[in-house]
Amino acid sequence: MTAAASAVFAAYGFRFVETPAVEEFRTLEAGAGAALENSAFRMVDLDGSLLALRPEMTVPIARLAASRLADEPTPHRLCYAADVYREQASLRGEARQFTQLGVELLGANGPSSDAEVVGVLVDALAAVGLREFTVGVGTVAVLRALIEAAGAGPEWAAELLASAHARNLVAFDALASAEGVEPAVGEALRRVVRIGGGREAIGECRLVADAVGCAGSLDALESAWELLEAAGVADRVRVDFGILRSFDYYTGLIVEAYAPGLGLPLGGGGRYDEVLARFGAPMPAAGFALSLERVMIALAAQDVAIPVRGLDAVVGGEPREVALTAKRLRAAGWTVRMSATRDAAALDVEAASAGASWRVLAGEGRAVSADGRVLALDPVPAPSSEGGTR
Amino acid sequence: MTAGRLRMAIPKGALFEGSLRVLRAAGVEVGALADPGRLLIVDTEEIRFIIGKPTDIPAYVAYGAADVAIAGADVLAEAALDVAELADLRFGACRFVVAEREGSATQIADSYRRLGVVRVATKYPRITEAYFADRGVQVEIVKLHGNIELAPLIGLADQVVDITATGTTLRDNHLRIVDEVMSSSARFVANPVAVRIDSERVMDLAGRLARAAGEVEQP
Repeated sequence: MTAAASAVFAAYGFRFVETPAVEEFRTLEAGAGAALENSAFRMVDLDGSLLALRPEMTVPIARLAASRLADEPTPHRLCYAADVYREQASLRGEARQFTQLGVELLGANGPSSDAEVVGVLVDALAAVGLREFTVGVGTVAVLRALIEAAGAGPEWAAELLASAHARNLVAFDALASAEGVEPAVGEALRRVVRIGGGREAIGECRLVADAVGCAGSLDALESAWELLEAAGVADRVRVDFGILRSFDYYTGLIVEAYAPGLGLPLGGGGRYDEVLARFGAPMPAAGFALSLERVMIALAAQDVAIPVRGLDAVVGGEPREVALTAKRLRAAGWTVRMSATRDAAALDVEAASAGASWRVLAGEGRAVSADGRVLALDPVPAPSSEGGTR
Repeated sequence: MTAGRLRMAIPKGALFEGSLRVLRAAGVEVGALADPGRLLIVDTEEIRFIIGKPTDIPAYVAYGAADVAIAGADVLAEAALDVAELADLRFGACRFVVAEREGSATQIADSYRRLGVVRVATKYPRITEAYFADRGVQVEIVKLHGNIELAPLIGLADQVVDITATGTTLRDNHLRIVDEVMSSSARFVANPVAVRIDSERVMDLAGRLARAAGEVEQP
């Protein structure tokens, strides 16, 4: 699965990078802000510095780009398959280490790079074999513009965003109707977070936002949508102005991927144009991360078999001959397990229990299958596909 | 994505009748849910109703076993799981209060001064902890499963945090309300992914229920 997604990333020209699992807590905090407080594992080193295990990859990659890639021409197209670590409440029984696959497009702005990120996500989900999935796209720009227009102060804005992050529309509505909020803007806020659909949803949102002079915040999303239509992926994408992600560094596009039957998103991301400035290299940026584990669950739920390379042969016999034969088979692309067994019958048993298609007695120059078929090994043919999937 | 029935979890107990009322008022066919007997799953043309223990409803929704549900705001706050709260259904109103034995205020203040800790009995440890932490008061929480009002009377705790609709039980047990923690009512909630991929059905239902909740006469 990682291979299938990686191939898509590579096809778009993304390069794999690795970053350390342990980072300075200050560094992560500078990038991710308050959301880190409850999610990062923290520890103290011998000098008394506070360290943290990375809870996600966006900030470590931003740091990497701002430092090690500072002299390279932008844009950077970087991707990763990496373990991340998050603290979870006790007794929830959730894994604290999981694997993320993702891309970051740094140094490129505008609808075309937004559309590229969404396009990679759609292609990657299709490539791993998911038959049914939806990618939701929205933008925080509308909400930010409306909050600005509401003129009700930073404290109110923080509360409103917190209720939106908590997906609590009851509290959100109450805040939007609160005293001191421009009533027309409050009405627009209540409507906007409920708008979703295809292209027409953007038009609907534009009508609402236009009434309070905030329609400009939709331009980028509308252009990106046109590019997604042109790229032929729009049928997998749904516009949704209710999406809000828990990391608060997003500045424009936000994207989330869903599969039916899985109660949690497969992954998500968005545009975070201000994060790199915090590391001294201001540049626009966008990306997404997929949870490998959740994608696996979704694949299983859709009865998609995950191809696993089976074992082609077990080779037994005189040790020196075994080593030579196994080497020749591996060179021809076989997967081979070496055995200390010299007896054909015992080797049959071993091959059967290992799920190998063939057993080879080194020096015999042939492979024998469980049902008695014989394959000449001089020259060694390409491995049969019978290793198959399981 | 409109495959199959929408799965809706309904709490048995105090919120059950109110849930039926608001569903009917919103024009939702409730079928055998009106009299489920021992059934825990009731199917209608459009909806699969799942009847659960109120405190378990947030888990059903957060893990996606139910797409949507009706649950008390109190239970949602205590569970602190990731669910989308879409509408206030207004029935089942109650208040979370801090209460103590009548005439025990001086004694509690005194022991807090000496020991620096207050012992609080509750069914809702998470809400209680958050409330006292906000005020910088150090508390020892005793988690109980029922008859919370008994705790101060038998010397188990100094104060209690509990829900009350009218305050009668507290008064009958000579407990005095000292502060309000939060108010609660029934909410219409949804799994965060269901809101996104089944949004037409879920948001439509949320809108109908919210309107119906405004019209249903409170008992």
